[in-house]
Amino acid sequence: MVSNLAVETENLGRIYKIHGNTREKNVRKELIALQDVNLQVRQGELFGLLGPNGAGKTTLIKILTTLLAPNSGRAFVSGFDVAKEPEKIRPLINMVSGGESSGYGLLTVRENLWMFSQFYGLPSRESYQRIDALLKLVGLEDRIHTKSSDLSTGLRQKMNIVRGFLTDPQVLFLDEPTLGLDVGASRAVRNLIRDWLNQDKTRTLLLTTHYMVEADELCDRVAIINHGRVLALDKPSVLKQSLQREALFEITVSSLNGLNPSALERLPGVGKATCQEVGELSKLNFSLQEEAALAGVINLLTESNVRIMRLDKHEPTLEDVFVNLVGRSMDEIEKEESDDEQG
Amino acid sequence: MEKTSAPNRSEVWRSFWVATWLGWQIESNWTQPFLFAIYSIIKPLAGAAILVVMYSVITQGNFNTPIFPYLYYGNAFYQYVGAIMTGVSWAVIDDREHYKTLKYMYIAPINIPAYWLGRGMARFLTGSISVLITIGFGVLFLHVPLIFANVDWPLFIVALLVGVSMLAMMGLILASITLLIAHHFFLIGEAVAGALFLLSGAIFPLDVLPAWIRPVGFVVPITYWLELMRRSLIGNVAQAFPTLSRFSNLQLLGILIGLTILFAIASTFIYRFCDYRARELGLIDRVTNY
Amino acid sequence: MMNKVNPLAVMPFEKVSGWRLFVKTVIARAYPRVVGQQREKSWIFFDIFLPMLAVSAYVFVYRAIHAPEEYIGFVVVGGAMTAFWMNIMWSMSMQLYWEKEQGNLALYIMAPNSMMAILLGMALGGMLATFLRAIAIILLGSLLFHVQYAIGNFLQLLGVFFAAMTALYGLGMITASLFLLFGREADHLVQLAQEPVYLVSGFYFPIRSFNFWIAAAASIIPLTLGLDAMRQLVFPSGALLGFLNVNVELSVLLVLCVVFLFGARALLGYMERLAIREGRLTESRR
Repeated sequence: MVSNLAVETENLGRIYKIHGNTREKNVRKELIALQDVNLQVRQGELFGLLGPNGAGKTTLIKILTTLLAPNSGRAFVSGFDVAKEPEKIRPLINMVSGGESSGYGLLTVRENLWMFSQFYGLPSRESYQRIDALLKLVGLEDRIHTKSSDLSTGLRQKMNIVRGFLTDPQVLFLDEPTLGLDVGASRAVRNLIRDWLNQDKTRTLLLTTHYMVEADELCDRVAIINHGRVLALDKPSVLKQSLQREALFEITVSSLNGLNPSALERLPGVGKATCQEVGELSKLNFSLQEEAALAGVINLLTESNVRIMRLDKHEPTLEDVFVNLVGRSMDEIEKEESDDEQG
Repeated sequence: MEKTSAPNRSEVWRSFWVATWLGWQIESNWTQPFLFAIYSIIKPLAGAAILVVMYSVITQGNFNTPIFPYLYYGNAFYQYVGAIMTGVSWAVIDDREHYKTLKYMYIAPINIPAYWLGRGMARFLTGSISVLITIGFGVLFLHVPLIFANVDWPLFIVALLVGVSMLAMMGLILASITLLIAHHFFLIGEAVAGALFLLSGAIFPLDVLPAWIRPVGFVVPITYWLELMRRSLIGNVAQAFPTLSRFSNLQLLGILIGLTILFAIASTFIYRFCDYRARELGLIDRVTNY
Repeated sequence: MMNKVNPLAVMPFEKVSGWRLFVKTVIARAYPRVVGQQREKSWIFFDIFLPMLAVSAYVFVYRAIHAPEEYIGFVVVGGAMTAFWMNIMWSMSMQLYWEKEQGNLALYIMAPNSMMAILLGMALGGMLATFLRAIAIILLGSLLFHVQYAIGNFLQLLGVFFAAMTALYGLGMITASLFLLFGREADHLVQLAQEPVYLVSGFYFPIRSFNFWIAAAASIIPLTLGLDAMRQLVFPSGALLGFLNVNVELSVLLVLCVVFLFGARALLGYMERLAIREGRLTESRR
């Protein structure tokens, strides 16, 4: 069945039964991991799934990679039903999870990767060539003959990432792929993702992450998911724009010299203004209905002999979008859930 | 090799009882109680039944010879060997490869040998159930002799306690060695126990062995332990066999205690060496995966 | 190595499928254990030498009760065959549970290969140790205990052996499929499948010692009839202590081959779907 959609879900739902300690009377018996999830991911897209821990991202990935069946609704990958036609989907996909410990400790990096390539039918000679080239791309070429049990967490994750790209899937699922990677390695992975997609427009990549910055930077579209539901789905820029119409600015000054921040609010085009002391400096935060009003602010500060150290314009972030949708930040949600478990 | 300081008593006790609790949590809740009961009955009885059938085929079902209770009781108590050695040594593989927590145990302020011994306690308890079931079945259905009034209970209890300690020391040696080897094989403890089955007079007197291998059996403390267990339960019947008949109960107990102390000392040195080598080679968190 | 391959470009070659993918998968999955065993050789002691001693214990039990010498031979042959039973229980069934815990099972299921190929690869990977164990027990046991053989029809013996092995590994795949669903009970269930099978399959004594119906029921395990037929073919008095005629046993084994191999294929598919539906492929249940 030919479809232009790489991934499609219709009212997808999944419930887990919880087998807890039978001595605990108040333990939940069921967990709704996904509820009425409707997604359409086009071919060639880099699609992001954002959400806190336990939001349902990994459950969705497992369903799409044919490891888990939905309880309700349907899901399709490259036009094939995940529940009824998994054998047609598997040659077309691959998945990499963050922090996975796949492979065998006594085998070298190269041997582990070769082994997985064989499960997808790659000829050995070409497989070795691809392995060597991919390891060079992720900066692991000097560890090619190292046993995987001797790798650090970050290097092991690089090996896992290579495993994902090695088989040239049509749809690649990356579930928190930069977990455990340092800044440089994370950047290299993001570049790898972009280059891979650019080389063939029929390739699609689904990325789950709870790093908003990563999703913002990479994804064509993102879905924000929490408690198993999709709260919003659009391009990152559109999601951010929908949040507010005004531009936010921050001016760092050495001293206000007695200037009251409310004086800024009397200027035309300037919205709410606040001041925050940071060490010996002060930070003025204000919104403008139009950027032209900035000149008036600068003039006022200059006339008041306020020395401007720095001027920043703040765009709303996806984190801001998330907070707006859920009412709390990702960190706050995770802290609450952690406190619930301990309490 | 670096010197380690003497273990703190409260640290040892804390390590032991927490590990015992953990071991019990792991061993006790893997299935429903009914299935656990089935497992606990079938496994030991099947093992005993192999010997019973072998014996029955040859002797046409004549269970009234001294050799039958000899091998039956020997086999029954020998279940402790496999259980304790596996329980202690498997904790290394389980923690290192399955749960991947060995490294966290290592960096915690606990006494590792005491921790391993604690982990083995659960298997000792489940092994005790197997031993009781095996003996009970033999007494009830196979007329294995046992008169409670004639049981030498003090000897039985002391021998059992010393024997279990001895097995724990052997288990500790095996656990230490396991630190250095990859996880090729699931049944390391059972394999060692199986080998010692030949050399400990468990199911046949040592006299049956060829002369050149017999001395090995006299060095294995399990030989003396099983003899003491048999003597405490069936006294004269056990002493009918010439292998250890020249030793009194006290002498056997003395030899067993001596060998147990020897193994305890050996286990200390072997643990220290293996621990040092494992840390030197970076094997504490090595995962074979297959 | 000079490498001009662009690994991000579309692959210019085809991936194989069908029986070639099956063979590749078998070889690839066997590879870790074969290579791992070369790199760390402690298995020679624990997996070959020690079991040989354990089997010898049963020889001496027979000696202690003055059993006829052919029973010594029975123990040696039976003890050697335990290696194969252990291989399918531990290297296939239990290994599958272990792979689930390590995270590899999900990757195997997600790949376009066959679970049968994965299981066969697991079993073959352990086959080196298995064969060495069996051969060591047979050779050393025969030498040390002066076992006398009288092989009448070597081709028939080979036929029985391969039929028994094929059926056995088919059964192994069936039991392995059950392990797709199991949690920690896997370890205990595999341990439970040792002594009872050694007992009812007559590893250390002729199965004829049981009544007909018990022996017949035990024949569902291929090693029961395989062992009985092999003993009849290699020992002078084997036929006297045999359960059924060798040709009958061989026929039953061939039927079991077909039944178990097709059954394994069907059950693996069913169990995989069930495990996916219940979410047991990637989570530990307890």
